[in-house]
Amino acid sequence: MVATMTTPKQKTAIETIDLSVAYNGKAALKGVSVAFPENAVTALIGPSGCGKSTLLRAMNRMNDRIPDVAISGRVLLNGQDIYDRRVNLTRLRREVGMVFQKPNPFPMSIFENVALGPRLHYGIRGRALQEVVEDALRKAALWDEVKDELHKSGLALSGGQQQRLCIARMLAVQPRILLMDEPCSALDPISTQKIEELIAELGTRYTVIVVTHNLQQAARISHYTGFLMFGELVEWGETTQIFERPARPETEAYIRGRFG
Amino acid sequence: MAAWEALAARRDTLRARKNALLTGAFGAVGLATVLLVFALVAIIAVNGAPTISWEFLTQPPREGMSAGGVGPMIFGSILLMLGAFVMATPLGVFGGVCLAEYGERSRLMRLMHASVAALAGTPPIVYGLFGLAIFVLKFHFGVSLLAGWCTLTLFCVPAIVLTTEAALKTVPAALIDGGLALGLSRWQTLWRIALPYALPGILTGVILSLGRAVGEATPVLFTASVYYSTAETKLGWETLRQPVANLPYYLAEGYRQPGVVPERFIWGACLTLIMLTLLLNAGAILIRSRMRRRYLW
Repeated sequence: MVATMTTPKQKTAIETIDLSVAYNGKAALKGVSVAFPENAVTALIGPSGCGKSTLLRAMNRMNDRIPDVAISGRVLLNGQDIYDRRVNLTRLRREVGMVFQKPNPFPMSIFENVALGPRLHYGIRGRALQEVVEDALRKAALWDEVKDELHKSGLALSGGQQQRLCIARMLAVQPRILLMDEPCSALDPISTQKIEELIAELGTRYTVIVVTHNLQQAARISHYTGFLMFGELVEWGETTQIFERPARPETEAYIRGRFG
Repeated sequence: MAAWEALAARRDTLRARKNALLTGAFGAVGLATVLLVFALVAIIAVNGAPTISWEFLTQPPREGMSAGGVGPMIFGSILLMLGAFVMATPLGVFGGVCLAEYGERSRLMRLMHASVAALAGTPPIVYGLFGLAIFVLKFHFGVSLLAGWCTLTLFCVPAIVLTTEAALKTVPAALIDGGLALGLSRWQTLWRIALPYALPGILTGVILSLGRAVGEATPVLFTASVYYSTAETKLGWETLRQPVANLPYYLAEGYRQPGVVPERFIWGACLTLIMLTLLLNAGAILIRSRMRRRYLW
């Protein structure tokens, strides 16, 4: 087991300890220990199938849904292991939100998409609910574009707007940690730029962990970067250090190759 | 190069010819099917339309069924259908939800799926006889509206279960993931996201199965039907224990006893029944397209 990769200056928001995940007996993540700093953007990079999405999905227990998955190790949130039997999944996922690769707005109005979470979790209604929805849409930089058509279907929006709607939907539940699984990979360059700006902005108030296969994107938006390969966390550090002075030859080869 | 082109040219011609042939064949078969259905409806419409009048649709039969109308039969058919709708929808939808949610993993549920599929293909007369044995005789409901409701409910449930299950399986996994990632429970995800998404499909299945039920004579033959009904039907608690007239039974019996019911009445009732089912189907299509527009586009 490797010592937990951490950064002493920063408070830790969520931390994995010797985390391993296997699907059908095939290891996808091998003993990863990493502490994600609070109120910062961390990028997870690495070749396809390196386990970066698995690591992300282990932190809100979305892997639980996959049949024949075996998970060992611990994930600490507020000092508690989220894989403890007593942990309430609803509570965990309220605190750790997630945005997926492909925008997945619910087949209901824009308003309802955002209102669903706060209504079900906190019982907010009426005027207060409208305020929560507006606030979430503003934080997701979508409010100005949709404020006059909140009753319209969320599916009527463009791909980039749909993704921001999904971010608003997540923010309305008041999470502290935002997991994003290649949030721009299904979007055009202009939408991608908007989401990137949004992620940078959110990184000042939330702990954002974003999986990306776009190295330029990682370099642009993140404060910290983790490089994974074959299910192992090869290197971890401040983004500038990883990209300018990688310590490990694998990291350097990957970054050089991908940058070109 | 030229040789390659020559080889390809031959195949291109063949391919084009085959394509044209198949397009023609499929088009002809499709057209024949449409024409057949159209001819059927047209013949009934031409023969039945002269009989249709306000009196025919609303009045009870008079003068030994040789005059008057089929009002009680229409009313009875609608009554039977409404009862079946109220009872079969929750049962069928609940069953479909169970199969869709637990179907893959549990052996019991796979067995249930196979049984329900078999039930959906069971001939309606079997439901009629089962209803007679259980509801009419065993439960002492007698030949009554209540026994008819119960029998028609059994008849409709399997189809509703299967369409509900199928509709729920079309819900994209990404939507379910989205709901769970938001912290919704499995039940909330089902209720708030999957069911609304599948609702148009479920409703279509419900309405289609009701349309089928309203046209079937055999499930209600021994359980709920009365042939000769002159009285205007009055609704009350006692209606539940009384048999009801209905269109399919009227058609079957009326045709079996020539000379009693005038032929034009049979044609008229036939057309009325077809219009009733067409109306239901049109309703299903309307509901589906309106919901689609509201949710998806």
